[in-house]
Amino acid sequence: MKKILLLCFALAVHYVAWAQSTVISGKVVDGTGEPLPGVSILKVNSTVGTVTDLDGLYTINAGPDDELRFSFLGFQPQTIRVGNSTEVNVVLQEDLTNLDEVVVIGYGSATKRELTGATSQVGGEDVQKMNMPRVDQALQGQIAGVNITTNSGAPGGTSNIRIRGIGTFGDNDPLILVDGVIYDAAGLNSLNPNDIESVNVLKDGTAGIYGVRAANGVILIETKKGNLGSKPRLDFDTYYGVQQTASKLDLLNAREYAILKNEAFAAGGQAMPFNNVELGEGTNWQDAVFQDAPIQEYNMTLTGGSEKTSYSIGGSYFSQEGIVGGPKANLERINARINFITEIAPRLKFTNVTLFTREMSSGLPQGGIGSVLYNTINAYPTEPLRVGDRYSYLNNVNDIINPLAQMENTYNDSWVNKLVGKEEIEFKINDRFTWTGRAGYNFAMVDFKAFNPLVWYGQGKFANSAANENLDPVLVDVGGVEIERGANVFESRNTFLDYNLETFLNYNQSFGEDHRVKGTFGLSLVGNRSEGLNGTGFNIPNNDLAFADISANQATGGFLNNTGSFQSSQRLTSVFVRGEYDYKQRYFVSAILRRDGSSNFGPNNRIGYFPAISGAWLISDESFFNSSAIDFLKLRTSFGVSGNDQIGLFRYRGLLNGSATYVFNDFIINGAAIGNTSNPDLKWETTYQTNIGLDFSLFENFDFTANYFVKNTKDLLFQPDVSAILGSYGPGGSPPVINAGDVTNSGLELELSYGTNNTTGANFRFGYNVTFVKNEVTAVPEGFEFIPGAGFSVGGNIATRFEKGYPIGYFIGYQTDGIFQTQEEIANSPVSQPGAQPGDLRFVDKNGDGVINFGDDSDREMIGSPIPNVVMGFNMNVDFKGFDLGANIYAALGQEIIRNYERQQIYANQLSYNIDRWTGPGTSTEIPRLTTGATRNNVFSDFYVEDGSFLRLRNVQLGYTIPNAITKRIGVQHFRFYLAANNLVTLTRYQGFDPDVGSGNPLFAGVDNGIYPQARSFMAGLNFKF
Amino acid sequence: MKNITKWFLFMSLWMGTACDSLLNIDPEFTQDAENFFNTKEDFDRAIIGVYDMMQPAYLNIWIGEIASDNAIAGGESVNDTRGLHEIENMTHGGVNQELRAVMRVNYTGIARANYIFENQDKIDFEGKELILAEAKFMRAYFYFNLVTYFGDMPLIVDRRISINEIPTTPRTPKAEIYAQIESDLEDAVAVLPATAGQVGRLTTGAAMALLGKVLLYQEKYTEASTVLGNLIDNNPGGYALFDDYSTMFYAANENVSEDVFTVQFSGLQGGDYGCLICLNGNAAVGFQGIRQYTGPFYADGNAYNLPTQDLYDSFADGDLRRDATVLNLDEFIAAQPNSDEITYGIGAGGHTGFFNNKYIKRQGEIGLPDDDLTSPLNYRVIRWADVLLMAAEAFQQSGNDGRARTELNKVRARVDMPAINSSGDALYQAILDERRYELSGEGYRFFDLVRTGQAADNISGFVVGKNELFPIPQVEIDLAGGNWSQNPGY
Repeated sequence: MKKILLLCFALAVHYVAWAQSTVISGKVVDGTGEPLPGVSILKVNSTVGTVTDLDGLYTINAGPDDELRFSFLGFQPQTIRVGNSTEVNVVLQEDLTNLDEVVVIGYGSATKRELTGATSQVGGEDVQKMNMPRVDQALQGQIAGVNITTNSGAPGGTSNIRIRGIGTFGDNDPLILVDGVIYDAAGLNSLNPNDIESVNVLKDGTAGIYGVRAANGVILIETKKGNLGSKPRLDFDTYYGVQQTASKLDLLNAREYAILKNEAFAAGGQAMPFNNVELGEGTNWQDAVFQDAPIQEYNMTLTGGSEKTSYSIGGSYFSQEGIVGGPKANLERINARINFITEIAPRLKFTNVTLFTREMSSGLPQGGIGSVLYNTINAYPTEPLRVGDRYSYLNNVNDIINPLAQMENTYNDSWVNKLVGKEEIEFKINDRFTWTGRAGYNFAMVDFKAFNPLVWYGQGKFANSAANENLDPVLVDVGGVEIERGANVFESRNTFLDYNLETFLNYNQSFGEDHRVKGTFGLSLVGNRSEGLNGTGFNIPNNDLAFADISANQATGGFLNNTGSFQSSQRLTSVFVRGEYDYKQRYFVSAILRRDGSSNFGPNNRIGYFPAISGAWLISDESFFNSSAIDFLKLRTSFGVSGNDQIGLFRYRGLLNGSATYVFNDFIINGAAIGNTSNPDLKWETTYQTNIGLDFSLFENFDFTANYFVKNTKDLLFQPDVSAILGSYGPGGSPPVINAGDVTNSGLELELSYGTNNTTGANFRFGYNVTFVKNEVTAVPEGFEFIPGAGFSVGGNIATRFEKGYPIGYFIGYQTDGIFQTQEEIANSPVSQPGAQPGDLRFVDKNGDGVINFGDDSDREMIGSPIPNVVMGFNMNVDFKGFDLGANIYAALGQEIIRNYERQQIYANQLSYNIDRWTGPGTSTEIPRLTTGATRNNVFSDFYVEDGSFLRLRNVQLGYTIPNAITKRIGVQHFRFYLAANNLVTLTRYQGFDPDVGSGNPLFAGVDNGIYPQARSFMAGLNFKF
Repeated sequence: MKNITKWFLFMSLWMGTACDSLLNIDPEFTQDAENFFNTKEDFDRAIIGVYDMMQPAYLNIWIGEIASDNAIAGGESVNDTRGLHEIENMTHGGVNQELRAVMRVNYTGIARANYIFENQDKIDFEGKELILAEAKFMRAYFYFNLVTYFGDMPLIVDRRISINEIPTTPRTPKAEIYAQIESDLEDAVAVLPATAGQVGRLTTGAAMALLGKVLLYQEKYTEASTVLGNLIDNNPGGYALFDDYSTMFYAANENVSEDVFTVQFSGLQGGDYGCLICLNGNAAVGFQGIRQYTGPFYADGNAYNLPTQDLYDSFADGDLRRDATVLNLDEFIAAQPNSDEITYGIGAGGHTGFFNNKYIKRQGEIGLPDDDLTSPLNYRVIRWADVLLMAAEAFQQSGNDGRARTELNKVRARVDMPAINSSGDALYQAILDERRYELSGEGYRFFDLVRTGQAADNISGFVVGKNELFPIPQVEIDLAGGNWSQNPGY
């Protein structure tokens, strides 16, 4: 905390008083005995004051009756009477409920006391101690109102950050600004969590200062900066750990498999495939696929500052291998950072931020049919891993391939070089006006190379690229000439530049004692430019990775080789103004207006205005307020309008980017067709948010924040199905993006923190946050009943929907009511269920017409929702005599997951719950019979929906800091070592690998296609400060 | 202070005006739909887009067979393409992805053709008439598909419609659509060349054949007999029956004299399940392949559209067309050397032991990955034998039994089947039966049974007065503003 807040140091002025005083000197230290530079010392009832130097030392002239007030941001101030001593040493205690902490709010800052909006902060330390490779992973469970779900646990796997629910059908990512530079959520991989000083989340309407990009909330990340007037300090942090899978599925072993398959075949009237079922355990594909994998990080930071210049320079190396695939699914990251702030001239400050990242990663197919884990789950245990010197073929199943062979044959590598920076000039024109101008840029060059060797996974597998087992190339007839189609390599280089140019003027003036006015006026231009070039080269020599480069291609006549390119630009121009007023630091009002123009919309609807107003009342400062228990009480409210312009480019106009190909003379000829259907009236979607919040502190140690919000998103941008007669459904075609549909998210967020601060005894800090969000679609476009989402199984029914009156992406299917036990039961049932046999699931006749209708939707109903009712996080830290223990728990409750990783093929392996199947009257009321014959048991019903609630111990850490007295002798200020574990315990009833099943598309959330699970890792680490 | 205020006023004014012009970005290297048709080449490219929409022919091959007594749906499970399983059982209703695809594909083809007509007067050039004639032919074909599936459908000609017009666009009576189809085809017959400049381009013969078929479906027998009779007599394309029926559906025997109206495919472009309508290969072929097959000659597929025992048994003894049309898999395997090494899988979507032997994945006729989807096998929409049988039917129904027998017996003679000498109703039935023997597996059976009133007798579950038409997908009714009435019975 103290590190950000040293500006006052530079402004401090020395006064000297002469009369009746002696020279008093002393040292100011913090609770751990470290000297505090920059502490201001003021003789009470005078203008005499000074500040401590780099070693925490000060001198001041004062008499024995004088009182000295020691104050420093982030610490509780102390007032001490000088007395007869000439040496006054002071220990300042950290202030855990600091209301003067400065929070970045967008084109300005405010103290916590002044805030009128709903924001949440997480300190860099709380991010770093999680030992997570990505910031978003580290934030899970740390902020009320922010729900983070995981798309994949693979190294470099992305998360979804959702602030206050899911507001739209399309892009729900918040606006992320790192030191004011736009960072897209997917690119967070390249940010080193150790570089982060603070994270601030703007959740309510006051985020409207960011206008048309703010509807999903705004996350402001500040990287570490140096402190003025501080000695150079070198931090070195490292950890090393081993990751493993936290869970495996309970699948059938070979014996169970053989018995169950025989039964299923017999029931289907087919010959039983296994004469002998005593096949023992058989092959455990999961054991073969999952492995232990290392994770490590080395991180070095140098910070310090002179009187006018401060710096923070860092470098780090991180590497992580995958628990599936090891080095085939890895992430390596090198970061360098130079942050530099200097006062060029009096009142003129220059800030430079430079972040460089190089990322190297590899990936395996994941998260769906054809992924390594999907194949692992469905591979049957009666097939060995290898046959002779090759991998086995799994010939009994269609399109399921040997996952080990698949991993070996996958070569995907990508390299990202990313340079993020900002140059900023701040000119303090006078006491009232400050002008800031800045340029930010985020440039990424992404290189990708995939080598696709000739492979053979057994007869008829779709993934085969060779003609046969001998890996002979397929012969292709090109214009009557047969040519070989050998191994190929795909390479691409894409560059992405995000830039922002901003200038704004801040105004700050007090009128008398009671009135204070602040104003901000600014202009901004934000844009991006992407370009890409790619190519594929065929017939790589010897089918060998060693020649996997386009330059090595030997394609006959170059016939099969191809190339591609793309380029795009996007711009946003904005003008914004903010006025703030407070009376006696007790009543606060703030108003924002932003005007945005976005190139994503046509001339009809390019410009939008986004207002917000907010206010706060500091009740505890009222004279009538008198409570010994409540130290601080503030009521806040805000209302604001913000927007979302995140759709594809040029969707307002019709382009000839459809696909038109036909075959003449046996050659494929390219033509032209309309791709995007235009909608010239397209505009941004608009979010109206109301927030009422309460902040209070109790007994000096408890901080409490509560927010209630209602967030209505209107004119949702989406691309619903349109009538076929519009003719939008050709190859490469897409229906128009329209503004239609409304979504409401309403909820309650509570944050509670508690901390003690003893220098001698045990210190205890904990934080708890909980969020309740209700999500409901309140309108769908004219003429629609619903928008279909994810499908169930292969070629199966649509299982999720966007529909009025329901949460986004809710699950729709048949509700079951046990199992038909006997033929009589079927015959006597008041509801006729076509094709039902004893042992089949008994479906509920929702529309009451006496028949289960499989041909339409009339008996299908809501059978689950992927959106949790409650999300909570719990953080704790205890330290005692050098030992520290920390833990972070995250829980999401009340959501459901669709079990969609079971391939409905007669020879595919199955989960072991099938052992408890129905085999005759009275044997099961839950799990249907097995058969290879036609059955409705595999239509989408609640049988495939599971409770997805879970509670996870995300991080637990035990550390010990060697006493300063000992480490000092070897020149080390601070030396700590620790043991940590991530994802040590997950409590859930969900059968799948990992209940944290996210999706970037809200209609695919909670659909588990065999998600790559988050690893459980055990780590040991060191922290040094020199 | 004053200076600052002035400066900011100036800045904001400048920003409000000048900066907004920064938003005028044009897409790079892409043509705008409203600024096209400026050159002959633009027209040439646009017509390719219309041709493209004939390639989703797999829908016709499947539905025309599976709805009839010829085939069951098959596949991995009853969930796998559920719409086809419902069509097989005549339990299909307003929710059916395949029927929706039929509607979407054909209307997209129509929209692409209309896009050309909308701009037809923009420039003049030599050869424009030909492109317009091709567009008319295909627009007629797409509308003909729509009327045979759904009956009355909105008729949109010569322009694209906007999304705002949809709620006020009614279903047009079938007769008006047929009138448009006939007029488009008559124009196409007049302009299209006798032989294609490039293999795969439409010809006057194709237009005459389709016109004859359209007339036949309307029971305009006299007119149909005139058109089809002319086609046979003048034979502009040099059409003839291909000698060897058994190998006629091999890739090697494509674009032969039998071909009158063919949709062309190529295996040279890969594809995936994400977009079946995007394929340049014939998706039906791989789908109809034998599941997990390891053995000679054939290649593995998804076991869709499996012929029934009823079809297999319907052929007369010695009719070589039985084995050319229906693959009796176990019999085939038993006849192979090392037959015990040949294996195949059975899908839970149904199994009859038979496979469509015309459009089936064979070794050596395989395209790029995913090769279940990229078969180079062309789809014969109308072939010469069909023309002869349609002519026979039209002549018989318009009172010329002699000519009917002549045309019928040409078809029979090719496969060495004895000539038919009957007349009247018996001859009529013989012609219809011959259509089953000759054309099964090619996607016409259901529509033949419906138009001849014989569906209820042959298809179990077929309800007269209902199943002659397919239901309009409910979602399409809703999307069109809910003003269309559903087809009777659904």
